[in-house]
Amino acid sequence: MEKIRITLNVNGRPHEVMIYPNETLLDVLRDQLDMIGSKESCGEGVCGSCTVHMDGKPVRACLTLAMEARGAQIKTVEGLANGDELSDLQQSFIDHGAVQCGFCTPGMLMTADALLKENPNPDENAIRKALSGNICRCTGYAKIVKAVAHAAQPQDHCCDCNPKE
Amino acid sequence: MLLPRFDYLEPENLEGALDLLATHREDAKLLAGGTDLLVRMKKGLLKPKVLISLKSLNELSYIREEKKFIKIGARTSLADIIASGPVQENARALSRACEKVGAVTIQHYRGTIGGNILQDNRCHHYNQSDFYRSGRQACHKDGGKICYARENADRCNSTCQSDGATALMALGAKLVLVSKGNERTVDLDQFYTADGIMPHGIEPNELLKEIIIPIKGAQSAYHRLAYRSAIDYPIVCAGVLLRPSDGQKDRIEEARIVVGAISRAPLFLAQASSSLKGKSLDDNDAFKKAAAAAMDSAATFAVHNVGSTLEYRCDMIPLMVLRALIETAQAIENSNG
Repeated sequence: MEKIRITLNVNGRPHEVMIYPNETLLDVLRDQLDMIGSKESCGEGVCGSCTVHMDGKPVRACLTLAMEARGAQIKTVEGLANGDELSDLQQSFIDHGAVQCGFCTPGMLMTADALLKENPNPDENAIRKALSGNICRCTGYAKIVKAVAHAAQPQDHCCDCNPKE
Repeated sequence: MLLPRFDYLEPENLEGALDLLATHREDAKLLAGGTDLLVRMKKGLLKPKVLISLKSLNELSYIREEKKFIKIGARTSLADIIASGPVQENARALSRACEKVGAVTIQHYRGTIGGNILQDNRCHHYNQSDFYRSGRQACHKDGGKICYARENADRCNSTCQSDGATALMALGAKLVLVSKGNERTVDLDQFYTADGIMPHGIEPNELLKEIIIPIKGAQSAYHRLAYRSAIDYPIVCAGVLLRPSDGQKDRIEEARIVVGAISRAPLFLAQASSSLKGKSLDDNDAFKKAAAAAMDSAATFAVHNVGSTLEYRCDMIPLMVLRALIETAQAIENSNG
């Protein structure tokens, strides 16, 4: 087994890395590119905390070999914000208190981001179905679902969407 | 979790993949979506020397509707099958089964239908970490001579928990297997070996190329039971196909009842199926009898090895079959108008 030089396109920028073939995309993102936003939790595709986008679709980085990610446009949670300006979805997570311990949050954000790109106005069922592959050990699902629902469509009646100055 | 060491090969076309398979045979494993294979490798259950990636083999990713068949390439992703109109129309059981696999937004883009059919059998005594298994003697599937699932069993009792295979068996699907210079077609019914260690009748140099589903004016349905619907494998599932007779649209000409996640392979229950021949589509008593017969036949194979209690799983067999039968009968009535 020899190290191989590959180029990964992460958050719009090419990164050249030397990897072993048995390294997963998650290993490379965290250990070599220092993008530690994506988390390893179960390591076997159950929990969803390692979710990243490959060509716009959410996938488990822990079950994707880095070799398989060559040529794809990869987006991690670090690529959601525009510089220091948070995306609507991220701001909504903060406003609605959808973050508890925060370990599942990167995966939740990436899955929700893909959902909102596909369906900008999802109902609660669609959100719950989309997020069903992401587990929150703090069980804070109600607020997460609300944050996703209100991210694209802030609601007048929601005090979290309209914080008092 | 770290993956064991292996060499990664990426053939550019089917011919290249078959050449590599012919060279490496048992040492090689095919990597499509990786949602089953990589988990097994992480747990140390598999240590292939070579992984042959199917990444570039887009020629194996298609859904074609022909006059009497739907042909699906083995590397077609589950998301594509769920979204396919012809599959929803003519093979609803498969569409439903694919929807149930894993988490909707994540597994479906990586998981492939070929991988779903060819996933290895599971057992909660075997599908454990290296550390867990190191504390006890190896079981049959691990190369030892003990079965933890059934006392004094002389062979492996692992369970086939594939959603896709159960639905496809109900649909009467065929598989096209290719190897270098050779191609053969097998009925999915005949594909299983009744051996828990090597459950599929596929040679080490063969590759699953295509799945052929016959279109025969029938309706089908698939129901399953799992702990957490988004993540877990089924603990009982049932696929059903009913074909009305040409003359009388409200009579059943052909029935196929398949129960999965109970035995080493999905079980086609001939007796329960044939009991429905000639029955009316709204004959719920006949459906209940067929469902009970399905349980009688299938329960004898059941082994307590995929979670939940054995009694509960067996009790749920007739329920899954009945629900699938009623849904199918309704679908036929709706299509009759």
